[in-house]
Amino acid sequence: MSLDKKRSIKQQRAIRLTLSYLVIGLVSLIIIYPLVWTVGASLNPGNSLLSSSIIPKNMSFEHYQDLFNGKVDYLNWYYNSMKISFSTMVLTLIFVSFTAYSFSRFRFVGRNNGLMLFLLLQMIPQFSALIAIFVLSQMLGLVNSHLALILIYVGGMIPMNTYLMKGFIDAIPRDLDESARMDGAGHFRIFIEIILPLSKPIIAVIALFSFTGPLGDFILSTTILRTPDQFTLPIGLYNLVAQKMGASYTTYAAGAVLIAVPVALLYLWLQKFFVSGLTAGGTKG
Amino acid sequence: MNKLSKIALACTLTLSASSVFAQEVLNVWEDIQKSKGIAQAIADFEKEFDVKVNVLESPYAGQIEKLRLDGPAGIGPDVLIMPSDQLGAAVVQGLISPVTMTDEQKAQYTQSSIQAFTADGELYGYPKVVETLVMFYNKDKIAQPFETLDQYKQYSKSQKEGNFGLIAKFDQVYYAFGAMNAYGGYIFGQDDKGNYNVEDIGLSNAGSVEAVTYLKTFFDEGLIPSGIYGDNGLNAIDSLFTEQKAAAVINGPWALEPYQRAGVNFGVAPLPKMPNGKAMTSLLGVKGYVISSWSKNPELANKFVQYINQAKYAKIRFETTKEIPPVVEVINDPIIKDNEFASAIATQSQVAVPMPSIPEMSEVWNPINSALQLGLSGKQDVKGALNDATNQINSQIEAFRSGL
Amino acid sequence: MQQTSISTKTNHALVALILGIFPGGGQYYNKQILKGLIFSVFLISFFSASKDLITHGLWGLITLGEKPRVDNSIFLLAEGIITVLLVLFALLIWYIAIVDGYKNGKRRDEGKEVNSVRKQYKNLLDSGFPYLMITPGFIILVFVVVFPIIFGFSIAFTNYNLYNAPPAKLVDWVGFKTFVNIFSLKLWRNTFLDVLQWTVVWTVIATTLQCTVGVLLAILVNQKDLKFKPIIRTIFILPWAVPGFVTILVFAGMFNDSFGVINNSILPFFGIEPKAWLTDPFWTKTALIMMQTWLGFPFVFAMTTGVLQAIPDDLYEAATMDGAGSYTKLKTITLPLVLYSIAPIIITQYTFNFNNFNIIYLFNNGGPAVPGSNAGGTDILVSWIYKLTMSSSQYAIASAITILLSIFVVGIALWQFRKSSSFKNDEMA
Repeated sequence: MSLDKKRSIKQQRAIRLTLSYLVIGLVSLIIIYPLVWTVGASLNPGNSLLSSSIIPKNMSFEHYQDLFNGKVDYLNWYYNSMKISFSTMVLTLIFVSFTAYSFSRFRFVGRNNGLMLFLLLQMIPQFSALIAIFVLSQMLGLVNSHLALILIYVGGMIPMNTYLMKGFIDAIPRDLDESARMDGAGHFRIFIEIILPLSKPIIAVIALFSFTGPLGDFILSTTILRTPDQFTLPIGLYNLVAQKMGASYTTYAAGAVLIAVPVALLYLWLQKFFVSGLTAGGTKG
Repeated sequence: MNKLSKIALACTLTLSASSVFAQEVLNVWEDIQKSKGIAQAIADFEKEFDVKVNVLESPYAGQIEKLRLDGPAGIGPDVLIMPSDQLGAAVVQGLISPVTMTDEQKAQYTQSSIQAFTADGELYGYPKVVETLVMFYNKDKIAQPFETLDQYKQYSKSQKEGNFGLIAKFDQVYYAFGAMNAYGGYIFGQDDKGNYNVEDIGLSNAGSVEAVTYLKTFFDEGLIPSGIYGDNGLNAIDSLFTEQKAAAVINGPWALEPYQRAGVNFGVAPLPKMPNGKAMTSLLGVKGYVISSWSKNPELANKFVQYINQAKYAKIRFETTKEIPPVVEVINDPIIKDNEFASAIATQSQVAVPMPSIPEMSEVWNPINSALQLGLSGKQDVKGALNDATNQINSQIEAFRSGL
Repeated sequence: MQQTSISTKTNHALVALILGIFPGGGQYYNKQILKGLIFSVFLISFFSASKDLITHGLWGLITLGEKPRVDNSIFLLAEGIITVLLVLFALLIWYIAIVDGYKNGKRRDEGKEVNSVRKQYKNLLDSGFPYLMITPGFIILVFVVVFPIIFGFSIAFTNYNLYNAPPAKLVDWVGFKTFVNIFSLKLWRNTFLDVLQWTVVWTVIATTLQCTVGVLLAILVNQKDLKFKPIIRTIFILPWAVPGFVTILVFAGMFNDSFGVINNSILPFFGIEPKAWLTDPFWTKTALIMMQTWLGFPFVFAMTTGVLQAIPDDLYEAATMDGAGSYTKLKTITLPLVLYSIAPIIITQYTFNFNNFNIIYLFNNGGPAVPGSNAGGTDILVSWIYKLTMSSSQYAIASAITILLSIFVVGIALWQFRKSSSFKNDEMA
């Protein structure tokens, strides 16, 4: 290889990398700007989000204090939300992995219809039937209970995530099951000892979905939860700004910053699972 | 014998014990952050009548909607709070039951507030608060409130980049109605007896068009920024005023506390005169306590509301929450008479028009608000926009009356 | 209980079938007493215990109540639907019992041995295993998803609205009247078509954009010689990690026409005229699409990154040997592999955006207003349905529109399903 060619390759590389860094820098800026702005808003005195400066002139922690000094029931909302999100996550994982494993590995009567049903159900918005959901929880005596809400979230999570996970398990070679079966393992043992460990990446994804899903919902939850002591973060915070009179966007921002932190941490914790390899899903062309 | 008497004693003990513990319970929904205003009254009522009163706070505008589900589910309240403009809809659906008041008791309240809670000749609630729009002005910028809207406009013109004179959310009928009404606009026509005629909508008559066309000049000349359109507009207005970038805003009594907290040196005045010399009116909103159809103890609920609405408690309520009770004795009390803010509201209330409380009212808001936004922003000509809105309201009312 | 039957000409199957009309009868006949008992006890106790419930439920479903203030039509409707679901479930068990009796009878006719309890148990574990695994999830699904949808759909065939609402009034069945009205009244028809059109445009553009950005950035960041990968990936994930309803409201402030940073600082910095983000439908739509790209790309980015790391290096090395440039490698190796693997995820993103209520509702509540329509300029079907339900109490219309929406989505899904070869691949076994 001539020296010129080597240099030009080197140059090309440098250009490519510089351009890449530029793009990445720009995207990072676009991502971070609104987030920093939220933090800025939470430190602004007054009630409005429309404050003109990202770095407030007279920084104030009053909104954070408001969250904890009993002015709003923030800690309670936080506890409720974490409880609901965590339970939803655990239950979703159990049910989804059961259904996904069955749909992926077994051929049984009703399988195709079931799959089709799951596909269609995920497309019809659950909250188009708010009244029905309320009436149902009333008939079961579960109005205003977190259990009802959790079950509703879990039900809503099942179709789509079953689909995702089934796709993933489909790609795990069946030879693994077969050899385990030779060794005398039953279906359930194969599921627990072979399929689940190999499905970690998709499990991480579904865990995230089902944990963060309830944190973004204030429609279903307002229908089921009727008293302030049962409220979740989204309802509580949304109420802060939904009142047409005297809405406090800045307290809202403070509350929002404090939710974003654990969710972001959860993500960082789970990220290594699915970035480290959607092995099975990725390579089987 | 001995044994028997023991049993008898035990029985009497249990009976008396159960009569102590089977205390009656009333569930009350109060407006958000307002329950402190009735805390004293409740404590006294509980003591006097040996009743347990549970208070829950939730946003007042959503309580009827909540009651629709909670009532039949058996977790609803006995007493709740409701704005009078929802009265018609609530009565049509049978969500609340009428209350009984002697003429003497009625006389305790201002007449307009009693009227606001009357539907089909029956009284359905106990008025709690009257609210209407007033002018908030920054005393550091405007020493004395102006007489006319034109003067505000002139003042607005003198403001430099980023600062504003008068700002108001005229793209909502609640705020624009005062101007329209001063020129002869109205929502529903009324007969001599005060009954509404829903086929006669006066939101697009010549007067309304003239008024909105005048308001449009504020937007055309950039005196009111277009950023106040839409759902977050009120927030924008609040922040401009609290950041001292707007010299005056038209707003309701709910703005008082946040403005005080923000440290603005402001005064409150009745609304100014329109260019035709007539004073801007406003819509009178009344919130009141109503009694749920599902209440297990409506008599006690009635007794309760009457009790907490006594003049002495209404006065305490005003002192703690700054809400003006339509109780004649309190309005004439120096505590309100000498209060600049409260007296401004009281003065404005005299020219204010009660919000129609018929169920058809719920078909009015969306179309007319859209039309105002379209007209003021120049997306559609004012007349056309208001006409479209009127037609839409008419057709919706007709469609739903025919049981679509 | 082990029983051998060697007879050649028997009618055990038919007899078992007929006896099956009594719950468990077929099983007794086949001398599978335990199984028969289970069926008998379950079915008989179900029907006898819920006889009143069933008659009441069906009565309510048909009449929707007879006395206003006493009967609440909406609750009766819900109870009726649940009754029907429960009855269907019991009938299914009954059907299974009959078929089971028939099958075992047939085995006896063919001179085979009827399974012993132990064998039945083993059989149940084996062929019943997938059912066992699916049942708990399925039950939840039926109650919290299927039932509400059926209930919601039923409302469309009633006259339920503000003026016909319990407790004061009863609700009645009105057949297809609501649908006829939607299409015969000009205002409704036009609004529906406008909203549907924007819903489709929104779904296609926003989703395509967020997926494209996600995939491209993932490929960009995955370059071997790029440094700081963990930090970059963490930053790129942030929009996903912060709950959407938080950021959407923050964006709403930033996009404010007069006071938002975008019009006041960012656009002037680039010398661009301020735009009417919240008052002009076109710019509101643009803002919504940009925001959704911001909110939605991190997920696709993360998924793609996962796939990229799993592509074996030897594929690329082989390609380099064949003299392929980086562009060719991207086109022939990376993109096909990535797209194949994340196809299901992309599809879920389309459905998600089709029903993406939060962003529309929180950003500008479907606004700005547009003339000649009773929905806002950026309302998509779900947000319009929500408004009809919540602010106008027009339940029947809202529910009719939900049905139309569902027909639309389901139609597309089925059509797509037939077309896609990946589903056929899946039929292997």
